[in-house]
Amino acid sequence: MFNLLQLFLKLSGFFVFALLEIICFSLVVKYNQRQGDVYVTSVNRLTGYLEEKATVTNRYFSLDDENYRLAKENTDLLEKLANLGINDPAKLDTMFSDSLQPKYTFIEAKVIKNSINKHHNYLVLDKGRKDGLVAHSGVVTENGVVGIVRKVSHSYAVVMSILHRQTKLSARIRHKNFFGSMVWKDSDIHSFYLEDIPKNAPVVPGDTIETSGYSAIFPSGIPLGIVEKLWIEPGSNFYTIQLRSGLDLGNIQYVYVVKNLLKEEQEELEQAVMKEDE
Amino acid sequence: MNSVIVANVFRFFGLALLQGLVFQNVGAGWESFPYLHVIVYPIFILLLPLRTPRALIILLGFTIGFTVDIFYDSLGVHASAAVFTAFVRSVVLQFMEPRGGYNVNYSPTAARMGMGWFLRYSAILMFIHLFFYFSVEAFTFVYIVDILLKTIVSFILSMLFIIIYQVLFNPLD
Repeated sequence: MFNLLQLFLKLSGFFVFALLEIICFSLVVKYNQRQGDVYVTSVNRLTGYLEEKATVTNRYFSLDDENYRLAKENTDLLEKLANLGINDPAKLDTMFSDSLQPKYTFIEAKVIKNSINKHHNYLVLDKGRKDGLVAHSGVVTENGVVGIVRKVSHSYAVVMSILHRQTKLSARIRHKNFFGSMVWKDSDIHSFYLEDIPKNAPVVPGDTIETSGYSAIFPSGIPLGIVEKLWIEPGSNFYTIQLRSGLDLGNIQYVYVVKNLLKEEQEELEQAVMKEDE
Repeated sequence: MNSVIVANVFRFFGLALLQGLVFQNVGAGWESFPYLHVIVYPIFILLLPLRTPRALIILLGFTIGFTVDIFYDSLGVHASAAVFTAFVRSVVLQFMEPRGGYNVNYSPTAARMGMGWFLRYSAILMFIHLFFYFSVEAFTFVYIVDILLKTIVSFILSMLFIIIYQVLFNPLD
């Protein structure tokens, strides 16, 4: 206590100095036109600068939320886009009300694990059964197809990437309606092959390949790639078509899981017919 | 003891009036050469007795600066410089302590400490005071060249007056 008092006495000169300087400077900026102007300008510039920095910094902190928000918005937009053909208002009066229900919904999910350098690549999503994910759903981003949900647990889902030797996607040539299946054979993550296109198809390099929508997993019209090279193996009736995909699978953060609400109905029907044939 | 207080009270009013009524007008009309100012009132701070408590020196510095500010119609500008000079005074005194130390009953005058010592002592503090004053007057270091020019020109004239003051009055306290 005594030491503290001594320290105070020792520093009293400094305290008086500091106090009086503060008083002096407030007098200077208050009662002197020019100094006051300089003060106001400087303070404004400083606070402006600090505020700008704070805003920029804060934006970084909310980046994750912002991404999530955008992913959600994208989900809504994708949903609207995919259901556009069904809810065409022009045909409203000729449709049953059942047909008006949306066919696809999308669930946004974050990729928490991803691989691209193996023959069988998988992704893990941070959403699972509790969020409404089911196996055999398609997974897309706004730029293209990512894969198909293989298995779901309570809160996670494993996605079989399109970079998997066994993945086969039903694909068609845009505006030309020839369809085949897309597979991945090379180790290049941008290079795919389209098989089973008959050699009479009018396909040329530069054509866009998109999902066909036949499989009930993906909506139709999602771009898969551009035809780069095509040739016919000797003795074959089909084209071998090499595609180039613009999607960078090594760098995806958010994906959208496609949920086809009418999938069960469609598959049930298909299987019933197949059973009859057997 | 009492004579010291009386001397300082007289010095306070004498220097404040001299600064405010006479030296304020020196160089005031020269638009083309605004660097000339004669600042003499810091002599009061310089000559306060050595035993004056530090806080009191600073408070007295504020008082004379504020009084001059009233004449100059620049509230706070002279006061801030005077407070700073008063604060620095004890530091400068510490550095300039002669062999054998100070006699705390004396004031740091030329008569007591010698003319050479006093000139060095007043030169350091006057330069600090003038530089601080012109900086606060400009309130930005954008015009640092102007500030330095004003400081140097005014320093020469002010020191001239301080020497005259010491020779003329040669105060003991």
